[in-house]
Amino acid sequence: MSSDTKFQVHHDAPEAVGRRERLGVRLLIVADGAFVFGMIFSYFYLRNLDQNGGWIPKNGHTFSASSGWMAVLPLIVAALVHKLAQRDLSHQGSFSLITLVAYIYGGYYQLHQLANMPFIVKDTGTFEGAYAACWVVIAGANFFHYFVAGFIALGLVIRSRRATVDPVLESWRIRTAASWFTWVAVSGIALAITTSFI
Amino acid sequence: MTTLDQHVGTRPIPNPKKSLITKLNAGTGLIVGIIFALLTYRGLSTVLDISIYELNNRVLLATMFMWSIGFLAGIGAFIGPIRWLIGEDLTAEEQLYLAGDGQGIKRYFKYCTDHKVVGIQYLWGVIVLLAVGGAMAMMIRTDLANPGGHFITPSVYNSLVGLHGITMIIALIIVATGPFGNYIMPIMIGAADMAFPRLNALSWWVLFTAIPVLCSAWFLGGIPTGWTAYAPLSVQAGPGMNAFIAAIIIFAISTAVSGANITATVITMRAKGMTWNRVPIFVVGATLSVAMAIPAFPTFMLAMIMTAMDRSFLTGFFDANVGGTGWLYAHLFWIMGHPEVYVILLPGVAILMEIVPVFVRKPLFSYTSAIVGFAGIVGLSFLVWAHHMYMTGWMPMLNGPFMVTTEMISVPTGLIFLVILGTLWNGKPWLKVPMLAVYAFLWNMLVGGITGLYLSDVPADMYLHGSMYVTAHFHYTLMGAALTGAVAGLSYWYPKMTGHMLHERASYISFWLVQIGFQVLYLGMFIAGAEGQPRRVVDYAEQFATSNKISTMGAYTIGIGFIVLLWAVIHSWRHGKIAPMNPWGAKTLEWTVPYPVPLVNFDTPPVVTSDPYGYGRSAK
Repeated sequence: MSSDTKFQVHHDAPEAVGRRERLGVRLLIVADGAFVFGMIFSYFYLRNLDQNGGWIPKNGHTFSASSGWMAVLPLIVAALVHKLAQRDLSHQGSFSLITLVAYIYGGYYQLHQLANMPFIVKDTGTFEGAYAACWVVIAGANFFHYFVAGFIALGLVIRSRRATVDPVLESWRIRTAASWFTWVAVSGIALAITTSFI
Repeated sequence: MTTLDQHVGTRPIPNPKKSLITKLNAGTGLIVGIIFALLTYRGLSTVLDISIYELNNRVLLATMFMWSIGFLAGIGAFIGPIRWLIGEDLTAEEQLYLAGDGQGIKRYFKYCTDHKVVGIQYLWGVIVLLAVGGAMAMMIRTDLANPGGHFITPSVYNSLVGLHGITMIIALIIVATGPFGNYIMPIMIGAADMAFPRLNALSWWVLFTAIPVLCSAWFLGGIPTGWTAYAPLSVQAGPGMNAFIAAIIIFAISTAVSGANITATVITMRAKGMTWNRVPIFVVGATLSVAMAIPAFPTFMLAMIMTAMDRSFLTGFFDANVGGTGWLYAHLFWIMGHPEVYVILLPGVAILMEIVPVFVRKPLFSYTSAIVGFAGIVGLSFLVWAHHMYMTGWMPMLNGPFMVTTEMISVPTGLIFLVILGTLWNGKPWLKVPMLAVYAFLWNMLVGGITGLYLSDVPADMYLHGSMYVTAHFHYTLMGAALTGAVAGLSYWYPKMTGHMLHERASYISFWLVQIGFQVLYLGMFIAGAEGQPRRVVDYAEQFATSNKISTMGAYTIGIGFIVLLWAVIHSWRHGKIAPMNPWGAKTLEWTVPYPVPLVNFDTPPVVTSDPYGYGRSAK
């Protein structure tokens, strides 16, 4: 392979760095997507198999279908608000603050659901059936999404108030964050649809 | 002055305002990791009754994860994200410091972002894992040398089989993409570094934290499940299983991070003029391998999380009494498990395809066929997982379709063979060790591939399933092909990575010992398996005694061969013949940079103007 050396060492432009970071995040989204796919696959596999009638045992408890949607609603709101932040960078800090509040509320709501699960057998501490097992893993994944998205949103809020950050690169980071925020909203919807099939 | 000192030269150490990053290293990581682990264990065991099975599992798992988090905090892995969070990005001086500039051998024990340092860290990590896994293999084969003559107890044997398996699987997943994907690949594509240098360091140090976690399984009673950790056996297993689960979850995180990093690097950082049809074939193979790992490993991680939930929180994913099923585990495991075979295989094969044109001085025969072959393997590998479940009774009506997709993989694999044979055709090979490995691969992969066809066939699998035949088959593909490719890569790129030639005579001796021992070990195992000896069983009938004795002799021969190679690697690193810049006369970009390779690899960014295998036609 031949090469020539007439070009000088260059530092990557913010656009190149931004595109690269966005690609990296999207590749990590593929990994997270496989995880979410695995959860959905497991949910429907166990539901349709209903081994020994144990998907939801007789007299077993469930969450309502709407509670799953309530848990992911903040994810959807936050993703939409962040879209506004992308369009109006002058008010990005304010929009990111709303996004952060949505994630904190959503994370709290999800934790509250996890702390008040109706399907743990009090005497033995076991979970009532495969539905309960699937539900708790899905809720855990939602909480993980809230945690990571909240971390990013907090960073965007703080950084929007600092004059030291590169504005061009920052605008790319806001776009990169949008990839994650959109993904967690999409995955939240997919998981809410899944848990609607009780 | 050691080789490593020469590597960094004598530039003064940059002083990034005496910030915290200058004070952190693997030592502080160990201290903080151990403190985190001890505090977690002591704290939780005071509030939870660890005599209760599930509560003990919770405490142990939390301890292991906190060790990992503590180590990463102690080595400085979270400084970058926290500085980003508070809007104080790392300064240029701090980034230069993180790259290890001017820090000598110390940078190998720091959170160093230089891809060449990470490559060397991976290399030694792989060597340690292979040594540990190999030692376990020797113990297994020693035990199997004679029927009834137990060298180890049955429970220890069970644990050894599982720990050997998972240790070797982890080692082989990173054996090529770790050292060469990090050290060599960025230079091959003309990049100054990886796309995400801090993630690069993270992927290595996260993996590093998984190693003691996995080793702790031994001290917690071992794992009785084999490396597949099938449920519900894994749910019922003792505390050692927690170590397996935690290690796999940590490893899956490392793999995802590494896969995203390598893929993004190749897509966005190729040199000017390096169009997709000019990308070296090793880069293609390694990238497809890690890109395949990105969606594959999370399902394994999910299976492990579910196992941990069943063990620690009494959920019922795999418990038929409460609506679960072991089949779910098998699906999630093998949806990862079969692509993982090709995650291991592709980089090793790609290394050999990189070597062949150099050593026969001919262009790679049909580069396009090689790409189509790789792509076919990647695509089909996600459609074959249930051939591991023929005998589970999961869904017999789907055995036929899965048999067809499995057998279809032989078509793209055949294309890979065609490319190598076509390149060899009428060539005059330069028979150095890397080239010998190509011939070894052709034989080993032929045996491994053809024996695999029988296993993909449902009626034949009914007989061969669960026998030593299966063990011999996958060792022919994973060790005989993939590891052979990685060892060839070590011989080939050793001069660029160390500045010295690998000891030639020792390399030849090692090569022949390993390859001869390999044939003795596994051809004998095919016979025992075809006659009905079950795998993973500590004892066997008298009728298998001869073939097992022969296999054990083969294993010892391999062991001696690898000890010779290890000696060659260590000896040559300090005392080997100084390597010229391009000892093999190759045309890829890594051979255009001197040793020590500059921090940003190229003083001026290269511009690629031709394909990497333009050696012209060989003389007839």
